[in-house]
Amino acid sequence: MSDKLFKKILVANRGEIAVRIINACRLLRIPSLAIYSTADTDSVHARMADEAVEIGPPPPLESYLALDKIIAAAKSYNCDAIHPGYGFLAENPLFPEKCEEAGIRFIGPSAEAMRLMGNKVEARIKMTGAGVPVIPGMKDAGADLRMFEEAAQEAGYPVLIKAAAGGGGKGMRVVNQPEQLQESVEAARREAKNAFGDDTVYLEKYIENPRHIEFQVLADHHGNTIHLFERECSIQRRHQKIIEETPSVAMTPALRAQMGQAAVRAADASGYRNAGTVEFLVDKNGGFYFLEMNTRIQVEHPVTEMTTGSDLVVEQIRIAAGEKMSEYLFDASQRGHAIECRIYAEDAENNFFPSSGDILYYEEPVGPGIRIDSGVTGGTTVGVEYDPILAKLIVHAPTRDLAIAKMINALRDYRILGIKTSRKFMMDVLAHPEFRAGRTYTDFIEKNMGDREVDVVPAVEVAAAASALAMMRKAPATAMGIKTAKPSPWQTIGPWEIGMRIAK
Amino acid sequence: MIQQLLYQDTALDASVEPNNHGAEVSIGDSKYVVKPLAPGKYSVEMNGIRHTVCCVIKDGRVHVDVEGVLLELTIPSEDDDMAGGDAGMVGEKDKIYAPMPGKVVKLLVGEGDEVTEKQPLVIVEAMKMENQVNSAANGTVKKINFSDGDQVDTDTPIIELEITE
Repeated sequence: MSDKLFKKILVANRGEIAVRIINACRLLRIPSLAIYSTADTDSVHARMADEAVEIGPPPPLESYLALDKIIAAAKSYNCDAIHPGYGFLAENPLFPEKCEEAGIRFIGPSAEAMRLMGNKVEARIKMTGAGVPVIPGMKDAGADLRMFEEAAQEAGYPVLIKAAAGGGGKGMRVVNQPEQLQESVEAARREAKNAFGDDTVYLEKYIENPRHIEFQVLADHHGNTIHLFERECSIQRRHQKIIEETPSVAMTPALRAQMGQAAVRAADASGYRNAGTVEFLVDKNGGFYFLEMNTRIQVEHPVTEMTTGSDLVVEQIRIAAGEKMSEYLFDASQRGHAIECRIYAEDAENNFFPSSGDILYYEEPVGPGIRIDSGVTGGTTVGVEYDPILAKLIVHAPTRDLAIAKMINALRDYRILGIKTSRKFMMDVLAHPEFRAGRTYTDFIEKNMGDREVDVVPAVEVAAAASALAMMRKAPATAMGIKTAKPSPWQTIGPWEIGMRIAK
Repeated sequence: MIQQLLYQDTALDASVEPNNHGAEVSIGDSKYVVKPLAPGKYSVEMNGIRHTVCCVIKDGRVHVDVEGVLLELTIPSEDDDMAGGDAGMVGEKDKIYAPMPGKVVKLLVGEGDEVTEKQPLVIVEAMKMENQVNSAANGTVKKINFSDGDQVDTDTPIIELEITE
């Protein structure tokens, strides 16, 4: 690789994923340009990149979502490629389009593929055509009872009656037997009418106790499409994943092969290039159903990297540059077990409320098989403007049991003070007998953690004992010389500027 | 030397006996051997069980991590002029201000109530965190200028007291 794949890459994101992408650029010896809002002036990602440019004020619409400003920055800094990361503009089809107009390579799929996967109805039709199973049911609203009876027969009981205008469980009814169908349809209609002023309802198969299992796919511009196995992401709170792992305990070699092939077909049918993720629901009998395709790098991609020994962001860059994907990927296999815990600034004891403040103490766990993708460090101010993800803690071990044990230890040793994090909550999830037994379904947290209570009593005196000594040593944080909480030289160097500001 | 700390409403009086390695700290009937490991990091031992504890003091509070359990202890001191704990300013103990601009979550007292020093008076939410504001003196609640749910700044007292010394 004597020639660089790109001259310079603009990283159109912040936090841990921006850091992750900058690291991949470094491996490929490609200079990187970070963008940052005025809330992120001293952030890790802005400090790490080869160059950094202030893009606007904190509100995302004026900074990380300001498409035209980002394209202008790429041009004035001579970037010939942009990596969108996840979130923000990553799945906006206008982004690849505007890049193309400006002669800049977008590191991701085409606008067309994004549009197709962004439209649930079209995606469903396309997937059915490609032989990818979707949740069986009616495509449109049902008019009379006979249509519901036929659809229910075809899908197989239990079925779910859903309001077309629905949401929040209103107008939703699970039907276990044919005898209950008529009554349930009528009840769902009444509820839907009351809740949404629209009594249109439809029917689909009800998936009991589903697992959320997704497949990583990778496609280049030379006709190669592969999958890199599954990730199970059933542990979710407020419909957001917090713990992911691979391999999934629900997988058999046969099911893995079947689902992997379906994922590859999904990517091929939509003309997908670059890295993507095909999400499925898996029922207790091993039936699987296409949910959606994420047309970006996923938050949880590191567990795949740990078990397959791959570097997905490097591959994204190679593929976008028109290279073939790396040869080693064609005989990739899964080795050991990996788990990821998302470290959010939030209060698990208070309904996962976001927490903000300054990080007063920061210490990462170390050891074999421990990886941290972090966007913060000691002294970082965590605001309320952006997604509260601070970092991801990933462990890799020979078996699931060892990975769980390693993760609990690593969470304990990942010390962050000044803001609330859900470390203890995740330690309790991992230690739960149901988690250990692999009974991980999407309702895990509400079912198993709902009545969780933290007994802080034994910790209080221990905390007070250490605090008393700290106080006696007359020790405000700074006077004690806490290394991690000290301002870095970058903060004390005085007024300076990297590059120039973008004209507003 | 006695160090006073508060966890929520529980007072913890820690008697600290310094030694060559750190200190022996007694709280109630329990004795802990505390040794500094690194700045902000301590080993706390009782009956052969050692815990690694991190703590940082800021604005009258001690932020503590005991192996994943996060706790905030309050230092009930007179010269606290910052957020949390006793927000009453020196010489102005009859006026209770919000520690930072925020929202009144809950008033814990009513006009005419008698209050004692260190009694929690009001909970203010700021930066999405709840802060308990305590009385800095004994007295009677003379006037309450806000209701639950009101936005407050740091210029207008939330509660005014009639101090009885």
